[in-house]
Amino acid sequence: MTHKTKAVLLLGIPTAYLVLLFILPIISLIVLSFWKTESYHLVYEWNIQNYVTVLTEGAYLTFLIRSIVVSVIVSVLATAIGWIAAYAIWTYGGRFRLLLALAFAVPFFTGEVLRVIALQGLLGPVGLINGTLMKWGFAPVRALMYSNVASGIGLFYLYLPIAVTVIYLSLLNLDRRLIDAAKIFGAGGFRSFIEITFPLNLVGTLIAFALCFIPCMSATLSPRFLGGPNGTLYGMAMAQQFGESGTWALGAAMGVILFLFSLLAVVLIASCLDLRRTGFTGFGRN
Amino acid sequence: MYISLEGISKRYAAVTAVDEVDIAIGKTEFVSLLGPSGSGKTTLLRIIAGLERPTTGRVLIDGVDVTDLPPHKRGIAMVFQEFLLFPHRTVRENLAFPLRMQQLSKEEIASRVAWAAGILSLEGLEDRYPNQLSGGQQQRVALGRGLVAHPKVLLLDEPLANLDRELRQEMEVEIRRYQMQLGIPFIYVTHNQEEAMSMSDRIAVVSKGRIEDFAERSEVYDHPKTAFIAQFVGRSSHFNGTVSAVSSEGASVDISGVKLHVSRNANLKAGQRVVVFVKNEKVQLEARTDTARANSIDCRIKDIILRGAYAEYILDAPALGAELVATRPRSETVFTAGQEVRAFWSGDAPDIFPADKAA
Repeated sequence: MTHKTKAVLLLGIPTAYLVLLFILPIISLIVLSFWKTESYHLVYEWNIQNYVTVLTEGAYLTFLIRSIVVSVIVSVLATAIGWIAAYAIWTYGGRFRLLLALAFAVPFFTGEVLRVIALQGLLGPVGLINGTLMKWGFAPVRALMYSNVASGIGLFYLYLPIAVTVIYLSLLNLDRRLIDAAKIFGAGGFRSFIEITFPLNLVGTLIAFALCFIPCMSATLSPRFLGGPNGTLYGMAMAQQFGESGTWALGAAMGVILFLFSLLAVVLIASCLDLRRTGFTGFGRN
Repeated sequence: MYISLEGISKRYAAVTAVDEVDIAIGKTEFVSLLGPSGSGKTTLLRIIAGLERPTTGRVLIDGVDVTDLPPHKRGIAMVFQEFLLFPHRTVRENLAFPLRMQQLSKEEIASRVAWAAGILSLEGLEDRYPNQLSGGQQQRVALGRGLVAHPKVLLLDEPLANLDRELRQEMEVEIRRYQMQLGIPFIYVTHNQEEAMSMSDRIAVVSKGRIEDFAERSEVYDHPKTAFIAQFVGRSSHFNGTVSAVSSEGASVDISGVKLHVSRNANLKAGQRVVVFVKNEKVQLEARTDTARANSIDCRIKDIILRGAYAEYILDAPALGAELVATRPRSETVFTAGQEVRAFWSGDAPDIFPADKAA
């Protein structure tokens, strides 16, 4: 096989895969969003009513804004805590580094539903925390019971491992001797972190943030099981259109809006980013 | 002395990387730590830098005990083999980094960066990023970053190892010039004896974590103190033999039946096993004659390697059962490959060491 055939095959197969399983569904979603659904039936009638509904009805806007606020808070926290954990493993993990990094992936083994339900058992009214508090005669912490805080805790728990893993992998790619160089030239520990370690891992940090933020925006499980009556988030409302309500076209429009919003967020971040200032060459460490 | 290492050792579990090293370096000295890879010379440099803590001993810089100080409080600078420029900073920012850390004024930083860019011919490259520079240019920036800081000492860890030969020789001259201009000590780690010879005032030869000798460069070359140095510094041939007689004029050595006279006797005893080194350039050649000559061996020229102004004759000496090499200026008589010749040297040419200490 020639080099060229190999290249065509190796690049072609994933491309075909992406087109089939990624691009086509998105196109069908876009088409669907311009149709309408009446009493659980699709009506092939082009209109933009779905978009008008999502963008003007108070409930959907509330869900969207609530989702953005929760997602930003959760992603910032997950990225920050992720940094601390990844940095600690990278610096102090010694020969247990790989093991420690893998340990953060252990919760993934159980699947999202189980993880969220386990949290419900911990945070709910008769859960471990509040149950124990009440047994000892204290008042339960209301903020933990079916609230946006609880649903935020759930999201944080779900996506922290991703942040840790991404930042850890980014750190692995950093040449530690650059930090030695910074210290030789007069930078203390904190200063060399600010000057060298953080900027050189900025891309990894932003990827970690995005990989938390985007699934948070479309999250359904955490708000459903932990969020309570005032905890509906955008993703959960979107899922309901495809389930209970049977308003698929509206759900599709919500999906397209979410997609555009995420795209906009990524483009905005990317445009503020000068890759050269992050030492990012796209060619790995040279 | 301006910089002193006192009883420095570094042990990792079972391995002793640096073993009881004492060195004192003057304020305007250029010192090389010369040794093969794994000899501990880089560990020694990292101990001076504060990147490694010695297991025992003290490091003093300008009279201050810095053993417990982190690198950034030692007022030093370093040039690395891999350059280690900050990839996310421009040339200008890389050069300014140590100065910003010293919290110098903007004007001072700008003028010093301009000075460094000037002497290192980096003008016009100030706004480039390191990956937009050639290896030689990156090396200059790395050197400039070390010089602008006006450090108490500049540490250089094989800074020229990644450059090609021509560039290397050019840089050797420049590095030596900056050292004299700044009037600060340079400590230069290298495994390349030519680099050490061309720049240093004194050379410390490092082997197995110990300093074999620390002396003027000519002393290290002309009078190697140990068999290791004789082997490692300069190019030489060596033979194993036995001392047959010792007198006040030197020693006679028997090498597989060939008798040689060595005018240094180095406290030898008759019957002792020894190893004799003869530097390539001290071996002379002449056409075969019947006149006897001391310290001569009949040889056949196996091969000739031309090295510019010099020719390296690879000689087969059946009597010794060994090969030896003669490096002669090409202005001398030219011999041809396959020719039968006689190799000889003066009695004070060989360096002789007891065999048990041979490297």
